[in-house]
Amino acid sequence: MQALLSYDQSPPIAAPFRFFLTAPVFGILAGLLVMHAGPNAFMSRWTPEALALTHLITVGFMLQVMLGALIQILPVVAGANIVRPSLIAGVVHCAITVGALLLAAAFLTFAPWMFVGSSLLLFSGGAVFLGASGWAMRGVPATGPTISGLKTAISGLAVTVALGVAMAFGMSGWFDLPLMQLADIHLGWGLLVWGIGLLAAVAYVVVPMFQITPAYPEWFVRRFVPSLLVVASAWTIAVFGGWDVPLLVAALALIGMFGLFAGVTLFLQRRSKRASFDTNQHCWRGAMLSLLSGGGVWLAARSVPEIGEWPGLPILCGVLVMYGGFVSVITGMLYKIVPFLTWLHLQNFGQGVLMAPNMKKIIAERTMHRQMLSHFFAGILLVLAVFWPETMAMPAGAAVVVSQAWLAMNLCSAVRVFRRHSRLIAEKRANT
Amino acid sequence: MTVDETQADKIVDGRFLEPPEPFLLTMEALDTIRPGETVLLRLCREPLPLYRALQLNGYAWETSCLDDGTFEILIRHRAE
Repeated sequence: MQALLSYDQSPPIAAPFRFFLTAPVFGILAGLLVMHAGPNAFMSRWTPEALALTHLITVGFMLQVMLGALIQILPVVAGANIVRPSLIAGVVHCAITVGALLLAAAFLTFAPWMFVGSSLLLFSGGAVFLGASGWAMRGVPATGPTISGLKTAISGLAVTVALGVAMAFGMSGWFDLPLMQLADIHLGWGLLVWGIGLLAAVAYVVVPMFQITPAYPEWFVRRFVPSLLVVASAWTIAVFGGWDVPLLVAALALIGMFGLFAGVTLFLQRRSKRASFDTNQHCWRGAMLSLLSGGGVWLAARSVPEIGEWPGLPILCGVLVMYGGFVSVITGMLYKIVPFLTWLHLQNFGQGVLMAPNMKKIIAERTMHRQMLSHFFAGILLVLAVFWPETMAMPAGAAVVVSQAWLAMNLCSAVRVFRRHSRLIAEKRANT
Repeated sequence: MTVDETQADKIVDGRFLEPPEPFLLTMEALDTIRPGETVLLRLCREPLPLYRALQLNGYAWETSCLDDGTFEILIRHRAE
């Protein structure tokens, strides 16, 4: 029944795709920077190269995909339609893409105008997105955990962006700020409330749906995302106060939230009704194990002073959480979202003239699986580079470039299917 | 409140299927029913996009949520 597939609430395919296709470009840039910076990228989290790398991944890769996915799922999951989605997506995409590039360049050069320029762009992009999504969700009651989770995550994004912009202005010399403390708070809100909050809100829907698992337990769904706000607030107060014991408790709670989410998700995956895991499930499993490892390393550092004093520790945790955790899970999600949207729009466009291709053949499973292996291989090399930066930085960076370029090629293959099939539909229509 | 299965002329159990299978099976089932007949869809989530598709194409539906989180959507031609 082709005529029934009128998903008029779904935004045009270009709206989310522009974000999805840009993300691997930032992944490639991150790999190139690792190759160029060599050991400097792994010396400390405060080196210009490490700061630039962190933001190429968090803003360039993670934020791109997260915003693109939100523009797509707000209407579908929450019934919240963003007004003029193409225009909003275009403006937000342009602002955060140029803003992320400028921010990375600002860290590498410490040019004040770059910090100001990147702040203005990222603030504008964030404000337009927050305004549009807030307006779309204004009448949507927070009835389910996904909707309230999305609202909480978006509030976490607002805090993260506000802190980031303030720090960028501080670094450009406009005013004095306690930058080290603000950076820790910025990191906490960005990774915990925005990152894990969004991931959890989306996971409540997509993990059972795509991985054929039982639903997340009721106690977890009700309390997890609201608890993130409590933990992030406690973390903020403890960092500002500089009190040792509350800081340790807040940090333990923060790590515990990462571990809890990863542990519950892995538990659900074990109860999947699938005969064998697909690439999406492998990506999720790898990501959750990496998040657990990151938390484990941090706990070990707190328990063994010799490990705690090692300057590579924050870098190792960052690699495990950001690259091994978030980039892996986002890769897995892209491999579900992109074929699904391609199929959906072709099905709509076809209107009975031509059936959409089988969703599973839009990007071949084998190709996705091989790219995923290259991604995990790159992750292992990055971990090794933390221990042996002199010898491993170059191969690790090269491996990241290869795996991200491969991801870009796989996503572009879906776009080619979309264009080819759209042409066929147009030709068929012209002939009838 | 559980929908009495005997009320439904066709049943689509999409609880353990990956998208877009439940959607496609529902569409196929709707293709085959006559006025006065119904399709019962069972899912683990509320299918918001489906509602819009049903609305646009002349169907009416009733949704109920069971204690175990299953959503039951009973669909029929709107003009009845």
